Amino acid sequence: MHDIHSKARPLPLDPKSLELWARFRQGDREAFGSIYRQHIDGLFHYGMHFCRDEERVKDCLQDLFRDMWAERQHISSEVRNIKYYLLSSLRRRLLRSLQNDRRYPVRFPGTTFDFELIPPRETVIILDELYQERVAQLHQAIALLSRRQREVIYLRFFQNLSYGDVAELMSMQVDSVYNLVSKAIGLLKKTFLLTLLFLPMISFLVKK
Amino acid sequence: MTSKDYQGYTAKDFALDEDFQQWVLQPDTSHTLFWESWISQHPEKGETIAEAITLVRSIQFRDYPLGAGDKEMLWDNLWEKISAEEGETEATATPPVKYGRNRLWKYLAAASVLILAAFGLWKIIADRPTSRATFSASTGVGQTKQLVLPDQSKVLMNANSTLVYAEGDAHAREVWLKGEAYFTVKHTRDEQAFIVHANDKLAVEVLGTSFNVKNLGPMVAVILQQGSIRLSIKEGTGRTMVYLQPNEMLQYDVLSGDYVKKRINADKPLSWTRGKLVMDRYSLNEASHFLQQVFNQRLVIDDPRLLKDSISGSMPIVYNIDTMLMQFAKVFQVKFEPDSHGQIRVRR
Repeated sequence: MHDIHSKARPLPLDPKSLELWARFRQGDREAFGSIYRQHIDGLFHYGMHFCRDEERVKDCLQDLFRDMWAERQHISSEVRNIKYYLLSSLRRRLLRSLQNDRRYPVRFPGTTFDFELIPPRETVIILDELYQERVAQLHQAIALLSRRQREVIYLRFFQNLSYGDVAELMSMQVDSVYNLVSKAIGLLKKTFLLTLLFLPMISFLVKK
Repeated sequence: MTSKDYQGYTAKDFALDEDFQQWVLQPDTSHTLFWESWISQHPEKGETIAEAITLVRSIQFRDYPLGAGDKEMLWDNLWEKISAEEGETEATATPPVKYGRNRLWKYLAAASVLILAAFGLWKIIADRPTSRATFSASTGVGQTKQLVLPDQSKVLMNANSTLVYAEGDAHAREVWLKGEAYFTVKHTRDEQAFIVHANDKLAVEVLGTSFNVKNLGPMVAVILQQGSIRLSIKEGTGRTMVYLQPNEMLQYDVLSGDYVKKRINADKPLSWTRGKLVMDRYSLNEASHFLQQVFNQRLVIDDPRLLKDSISGSMPIVYNIDTMLMQFAKVFQVKFEPDSHGQIRVRR
């Protein structure tokens, strides 16, 4: 029933992006500038979640765009998704940069790609101790996810890459990506929705 | 999307569905059209959908914003390197584009003439030299829009709002607003003023700051979050200047010309900019005003006792009337029944 077979569905680039990409490849600086402006915030965010090292992220971003401009005629004219192209390139550069840097600990800090789960209703937390307990359990469960697993969740929910693109970027099977997202949603549901059902009774102070 | 049998989906199934996620996270026209019509055809799934929306929205990542200055520096450095590598002689060969310039303004330039004609109230613009370009943007029922003005200032427009921007005056940046919008004004080096006109009597003047203007016709409310602003109010033939500090609100009654300044917690009325409705002893009457502002939908409350109930808490603002009604029904413990006149009646 679940349509997880979107791996077979390459998201075609919309005509606007296609045109932008073509203009960039022909050396149009305005088009290149548009691509930069559209993606720089998202790329920086990804980089910061990846390694928490602002200077390194900025250096890699600068190299990425510089090389992209220099190599524009050799880059494929059929990029399916500009964001995917940029993210995967940034990821490779960050990994290479980290590997070449001996000062940097080989293991990533445990806090990368930490996602927060924002409770749907603030009041629920205050009023329901049971709920607080569940949130604590949820955070423990999230902490048990590996960095790689958290990155998958991040790429789907923050960067909005398709299941297929996330799988490709992380060299995983689409099914594994789907199962992982399913696990995270399952955790959330267990935590929040039980409480949501009783929402009118416990979370709002009805004043008469 | 159409090929799937969503009828049997649970909240978790929806939350896992790529097309559903897309609609919640980054709605585009085709997804919005599909899901809004699907929801209206399957009202019985409304609660499931609301749960699924909550699930998808609950996953939040820490923000790492890249400052505008950093962004420009990165870009300038990039071009310096490229220019050096390409051996260009002109050091100023940076691209002609400006950051954040929004093409929307260009597209809407033609349309703005018509919109302006419709707002007789705003005839002030017509008195200005015709050489000034004006641009406009508007939001419909249940829509919001984020704009970046040519000067980099940001505007988040709430539903049912129109913003007209006049460009080209060296001394001032001016906008005319109907409806509600939250402004983050970019400070310029030459201290150029930024002016928001609510009507021909009330104007907000700022240098660089964050504030909210709600102009719903007879009542205008200006709330300052950061920085400082000056309100210029026309009284008789003269003008009175009123200064606002952060967390102050000025309410202006257009008909009588009366105004009052109050200290408030700006976070609450501005929670809409964060996609939240924060309710502090919130009654059905206020819910009705909210629905009117955002969806052009008024509630008819026959039983006056219902107006006495008030709630405190918060809920996500979903720009879909059915979902909002469902949330309100849940917290107020009432039923909403559409009647034959297109109005919605509230019952216990």
